[in-house]
Amino acid sequence: MALTGRAGLLAALAAIVVLLAPEPGLVVLAAALVLFALVAADLLLAGDVRGLRFQRDGDRRVRLGQSAAVGLVVENPGRRRVRGVLRDAWQPSAGAAVRQQALDVPPRERRRLVTTLTPVRRGDRRAVAVTVRAAGPLGLAARQRTFHVPWTVRVLPPFLSRRHLPSRLARLRELDGLHPAMVRGQGTEFDSLREYVVGDDVRSIDWRASARSNDVVVRTWRPERDRRVLIVLDTGRTSAGRVGVAPVPGSGPSGWPRLDWSMDAALLLAALAARAGDRVDFLAYDRAVRAQVAGAPRTELLSSLVNAMAPIEAELVEADAAGMVAAVLSRARRRCLVVLLTDLNAAAMREGLLPVLPSLSSRHMVVVASVADPRVADMAAGRGTPEAVYDAAAAERLRGERREITAVLRRHGVEVVDALPEEVAPALADAYLALKAAGRL
Amino acid sequence: MTATRRRQAAWVALLAALVLGAAALPVLLTGRQPDGRPLDPAGTSLDGGAALARLLEAHGVRVVRAKTPDAAVSAAGPFTLLLVTEASFLDRGAAGRLAAAFGDRLVVGSVPYLDVLAPGVRKDGPAHTRSRAPECALREAVRAGSAYTGGTSYVGPPGSTGCYPAGDGHTLVRYTAGGHTVTVLGDASFMTNLRLAEDGNAALALNLAGARPTLVWLTEPDDPVQAAGGADGEARSLGELIPDGVKWAVFQLALAVAVVALWRGRRLGPVVVERLPVAVRASETVEGRGRLYRSRRARDRAALALRAAAADRLAPRLGLPRTATAQEVAVAAAARTGRDPAPVVTLLCGPPPGDDAALVALAAHLDTLERQVRDS
Repeated sequence: MALTGRAGLLAALAAIVVLLAPEPGLVVLAAALVLFALVAADLLLAGDVRGLRFQRDGDRRVRLGQSAAVGLVVENPGRRRVRGVLRDAWQPSAGAAVRQQALDVPPRERRRLVTTLTPVRRGDRRAVAVTVRAAGPLGLAARQRTFHVPWTVRVLPPFLSRRHLPSRLARLRELDGLHPAMVRGQGTEFDSLREYVVGDDVRSIDWRASARSNDVVVRTWRPERDRRVLIVLDTGRTSAGRVGVAPVPGSGPSGWPRLDWSMDAALLLAALAARAGDRVDFLAYDRAVRAQVAGAPRTELLSSLVNAMAPIEAELVEADAAGMVAAVLSRARRRCLVVLLTDLNAAAMREGLLPVLPSLSSRHMVVVASVADPRVADMAAGRGTPEAVYDAAAAERLRGERREITAVLRRHGVEVVDALPEEVAPALADAYLALKAAGRL
Repeated sequence: MTATRRRQAAWVALLAALVLGAAALPVLLTGRQPDGRPLDPAGTSLDGGAALARLLEAHGVRVVRAKTPDAAVSAAGPFTLLLVTEASFLDRGAAGRLAAAFGDRLVVGSVPYLDVLAPGVRKDGPAHTRSRAPECALREAVRAGSAYTGGTSYVGPPGSTGCYPAGDGHTLVRYTAGGHTVTVLGDASFMTNLRLAEDGNAALALNLAGARPTLVWLTEPDDPVQAAGGADGEARSLGELIPDGVKWAVFQLALAVAVVALWRGRRLGPVVVERLPVAVRASETVEGRGRLYRSRRARDRAALALRAAAADRLAPRLGLPRTATAQEVAVAAAARTGRDPAPVVTLLCGPPPGDDAALVALAAHLDTLERQVRDS
């Protein structure tokens, strides 16, 4: 049950009558009784909310930054009209457009209401409750009831770096067999035999095949295919820090977590590697496996990746590097490319990853990709006042530590990609293409 | 401007007008100047009595202005005349004390507790206030001639004198009881500044009010409520003065507020909770370290960091390995730019700066050196 503003207005108007009436005490009593009777009558005549039936339909997935429409069908099996307001309550970060909607369902009919969601954060956004408040004919009182009508909209990573995909695919095709002068070397495998054309490297002439045919025949080579790429996402505390400017409105002024930028880079790399014919697996790890994708078919790789990534949040614990390496080793029996998306935090790396890195880098090709903080670069450029110079010194010290740890990692044979938030995805894709061209996968 | 905006503006204007009106109304109602008191010997407004008081003083009558009944009683003596007008503020106790006071009484206008102040006189009915002839033997009235009387007509006790008749009664009644001469008039307008000059008003007023050497004029008190409260044991609080209807209306308004509270207090569904991620900028540790350097004045560490960063950036440009020492970098940079090696070596591996200004200068010099190497 709920009262409305009209009941309050009526009670206030009664005060005027009381002021002018000869027997004010009696009028107060009478007004209270009348109001009570009217409210009771209104409640009796209001539509029956208890019997309402609900059904949902609409979007189950939406990319971050886009809007989803979720329908709610309200069926009124009762004999009285249900008229009032309906609140479809979602979690705040689901970004429901309106707080409440008008509802008017005649008896034995149904109406469909649409809630538009514009989520501001990745993850699963749940519908919490549906509350209906049906007012009586006088509009003095209303019946109210809350229902649980579950629905979940999974907010996927936006994959903003897909705009870099066409240019990287073009580079990949260049590497691929379409390039006529592709010579034999490390990282290539035999593709086919074809007739010699002027300009081909004479070293690639297959004499044995030429002897069998009338023409001079050359062997062609193409980059290796069916290599394995394992993308490992560090979801520990260092991934929670926010950097850069959030590309999606409503995410707050403090930027996007490193984790989201890393996901963006991982998606571009996965899309590229899948097109290049490699097999991509995915693992999210801090102190336990948070998510994994293994052996997904090439055509469904991206959708299963974004689906697996969507609910991951950075945990505020120190990542367990030894456990992560063990998990990687147990999954990657053959040599593969391990792309570790983490932060180049000197202290955390020295204590965690560096001691266990040799066991990983001896068997696999390892790439460490990290999101640099543009704010640190800004601070390092500060000059003029003592405050700015002290900040610049602190920033330079951090960058020095990062350079140092990068050098240590490179000595272990690890490729390091350290780029600003918007550039980390293309930089990682370029590193992958370079490795592929060099046949180091 | 949209329709909604315009409607909002109209509401705001209406509200502002209401607030202004509510603020101005009490000012207008209570904004009476001390000169503007009605029937007051100091009142110079149209309904004041300053003209009469001046005339009386000119005729040698002392006018004592009494603000409270008690002051009037203490000022009264055997040779005084007490003037009570409708502007006087009385309760029953005060009226009794006035009636018991020394001297004669002149009661003008619709004064409360007339039965105490002038026992035996009863009201006959309303009478139109106009110029009337005395039609009696009272010397004061006869000598004044026609005057502006009316208001209420009275019927006096046996033995009383009635003048200026209206209907069955008289608008002026005089009688003597208990050694007091009591004169009752139905309307006070004849003695106001407005009417005094008309007709025989002035003469009547002088004759009546100037009958004794001293006139005690009971006026309106400064604060009627306080005067009533402080006057006697029959004091009434502010709450008792408020009519019942207002109290019940306030109670009803409280009920209305309770109903509104019930309306607003009922939420449309539950509060939705959500686990939110931490919003910490990754740069906070760096900023914290910068502030720490600043608060400790750690110029040595700051200079070390800046020099190491500059040397790291310079080494590849000068074709040196990453492992090159700062000394080697400085010498190579000096050779590349053609500068004197000594200051460059001091710049890259000299002592820490002595103060903040030197640190700022060091940062600027390092920038200059990097630019020179880049441009050379």
